[in-house]
Amino acid sequence: MGLDTKFIDKTNAMPGNENKVKEVGRYLYCIADAGESLSLGGIGIAKNRVYTIPYNDICAVVHNCPAQPYQSENHDIVKTWVITHQEVVDAAWTRWGTVLPLSFDTIIKGESDSNAEQNVKDWLKQEYERLKKKMEDVRGKAEYGVQVFWNPKIISQNLMETNQGIKELNDVIRTKPKGLAYMYRQKLENLIKHEMETGADVCFRVFYNRIKKHTTDIRVEKTKKAEQGLQMILNLSCLVHKDRYPELGEELDSINQMEGFSVRFTGPWPPYSFVGGVS
Amino acid sequence: MVVDIDEKSLKHGVLGLVIAIVEIIRDALKLQAMKRMESGNLTEEEMERLGEALMDLDTAIEEIKEEQGIIESVKSVRDGLDEIVDDVLDRMINPERWKEESEQWA
Repeated sequence: MGLDTKFIDKTNAMPGNENKVKEVGRYLYCIADAGESLSLGGIGIAKNRVYTIPYNDICAVVHNCPAQPYQSENHDIVKTWVITHQEVVDAAWTRWGTVLPLSFDTIIKGESDSNAEQNVKDWLKQEYERLKKKMEDVRGKAEYGVQVFWNPKIISQNLMETNQGIKELNDVIRTKPKGLAYMYRQKLENLIKHEMETGADVCFRVFYNRIKKHTTDIRVEKTKKAEQGLQMILNLSCLVHKDRYPELGEELDSINQMEGFSVRFTGPWPPYSFVGGVS
Repeated sequence: MVVDIDEKSLKHGVLGLVIAIVEIIRDALKLQAMKRMESGNLTEEEMERLGEALMDLDTAIEEIKEEQGIIESVKSVRDGLDEIVDDVLDRMINPERWKEESEQWA
């Protein structure tokens, strides 16, 4: 890829770098549940060789890098890096089953090559208990993204038919001259909007509880803009034990079948949202 | 970075911005009108006049947008503003975001 070569040129030619004491680093992708030393090949960011640094029965999945964060003004380059980061975590996850993903740009530095390596080992040693505990928390589980959408057109149409206040107001509008009808229509729109907001809150609570009971851990994420005229009313990251995955699927199916609602279910992912504070 | 200014697109952009602002003012007017109506201080006749005036304003804005081909550009200005307000509110009312932010800058 053309982008990669550009990037290599850039980091090597970082201004002022040649005058300083040359610090090196290890870029960390994740911590894996295995004490082995092994190379995964050139699958890393900018085709770097990815390998493991073991301590006891865990290891850090890393590549060698300069002791500075990967930064770029170019959004596409950053996106490529982040995707590669995820791919490496995915590969480690497939291989070892249990991993603690680290966030993009987690770098441990040292004054020399061997020193950087030692610093990674020291960090693993120092954090060993905590890392092992987190490893147990996510063992046998995967992260899933659950997003529930509704179609505002269908929902408001239903309100028009079922909500007494809205129905009455709608009837009044028909009898009024156009200026007044306009004012009442604004009122009607506000009323519908208000009812829908209340409805969205209720749906959020109901769906959240229905989904939560199938998960080990759950995080509420910010809702995002949806396409095709849909609105996202619930955005969750769920940590789910693999045995409970089918029942979660059934639950989501039944929500998906409700009129005006749809569900997007993604995963399995490594437990990105549930290892907060590892680094 | 070289900013490439195409006179036509500049005109579009400025016009889109202006109409977006007019729309926001119109929305504020509507809100006020609704409040007056709800308070019961207006006669039927006054409400009728107010409604007609607002309706004419709606029609005028829609016509301008259509004639100038700026429906999308107005929408994108308003969506952009919505996002900013949304983001600011989200940060203000959710303690979780404060934590995320302080972690980000730590």
